[in-house]
Amino acid sequence: MSKFKIDREQIQMVVALVAVAVVAVLFLGLTDMVTREPIAAAQKEALNRALMQVLPEHSNDPLADGFDMEVNGSPERFFPARDKSGTITCLAWETAAPDGYSGTIRILMGIFPDGVVNAIRITDHRETPGLGDGITKNRPWIDSFIGKRLDTARWAVKKDGGDFDQFTGATITPRAVVKAVKNGLEMFMANKDKLLAMPAAKKSKGEKP
Amino acid sequence: MSMTTSTESTISKSEILADGFWHNNTIFAQLLGMCPLLGVTTSAENGFWMGAATVIVLIGSNLVVALVREGIPDHVRIPAYITIIAAFVTMVDLAMNAWMHEMYLVLGLFIPLIVVNCAILGRAEAFASKNSVSDSLVDAIAVGAGFTFALMLLGGVRELLGQGELFGFSVFGADYPDFLLFILPPGAFIALGFILAGVNIINRRMKANAERKAAAEPVASAATSTATEATS
Repeated sequence: MSKFKIDREQIQMVVALVAVAVVAVLFLGLTDMVTREPIAAAQKEALNRALMQVLPEHSNDPLADGFDMEVNGSPERFFPARDKSGTITCLAWETAAPDGYSGTIRILMGIFPDGVVNAIRITDHRETPGLGDGITKNRPWIDSFIGKRLDTARWAVKKDGGDFDQFTGATITPRAVVKAVKNGLEMFMANKDKLLAMPAAKKSKGEKP
Repeated sequence: MSMTTSTESTISKSEILADGFWHNNTIFAQLLGMCPLLGVTTSAENGFWMGAATVIVLIGSNLVVALVREGIPDHVRIPAYITIIAAFVTMVDLAMNAWMHEMYLVLGLFIPLIVVNCAILGRAEAFASKNSVSDSLVDAIAVGAGFTFALMLLGGVRELLGQGELFGFSVFGADYPDFLLFILPPGAFIALGFILAGVNIINRRMKANAERKAAAEPVASAATSTATEATS
């Protein structure tokens, strides 16, 4: 005889918890099914909107033409702007500043083939509202990257003897962004030939080359 | 079962509404849910959407808990409620990510954190587990509206003082020197302190008015009784 007595109440407890969990899982699965495509579409749209801001006029779809390439040992996704002949006129990719004030700052770069910055945008960050989040709200500051090149600017904040402003009360955030953009540019210059030689994606079926 | 139904109808719907929205307001009276309150109320709009997400979870969890309360043994009610709340939070989280992507990015971690907003488990445990489905729905709407109101009020005050704007529209003009303190977390505490002081003043006035009314009534009835005595 077992000395553990299983009474009705215990069974009831297990049944109740299992029932709640099963119903919860069903509803979660349903919600996931319904929202999966809209979430993917929303993320794509957000990325596309950011891409339009860092790339100049183009005659292709940079998002659809995105390609993966391994640079410095890690795979990255690049979004090229191409002219009618298919030549890359500007290249966009996302880089990350791991040393923000709180967490990683993600930066979308738009760089011309000669290494000149077309524009940059912050796509994700957790910086302090009112201080560090100036990197998304302070337009003149974001625009101060425009036209800069590795060799034409001192890539540091003014406090460190560079060309870029820091904000009142926030130096860490701009410092992290400037450093990440600089690293991104260095990566680009080192892999430039490989990246710019990437052929345009095949046209969709039915269309003659 | 019949015992619980007899105790259910002791409070009226309007009392539940007044209690949830004002007298027992999650923020003003109970000071619960401080984490989203202080975290996301840098603007009135953020406060509103955080409140709206909380209201949806609260309505869902109150309804379901009131529906299943008879079938859940006492010993496992807390894990059962938490599972129900967590399911609703995840559904709201996914839905916001899909259809309100930009606000989702702003509110970020605070949406999943609704799970641990003790105000919600508090309503499930203190109200929905003891009351009818319709009363629990009214309670969820009242408490949720009170919470949203508090978040919007604090967000509005901080946005107005910190950036000179309200719902993104400039109020004090472009020359307003941003008062950074109110955007930062300490500003949330300071603004909340002043709001609580204001709420206490209103409550005291309301109480004084009610007392004056109560004091005036017996006098009036006494006056009429002496009048009738005199005529007789």
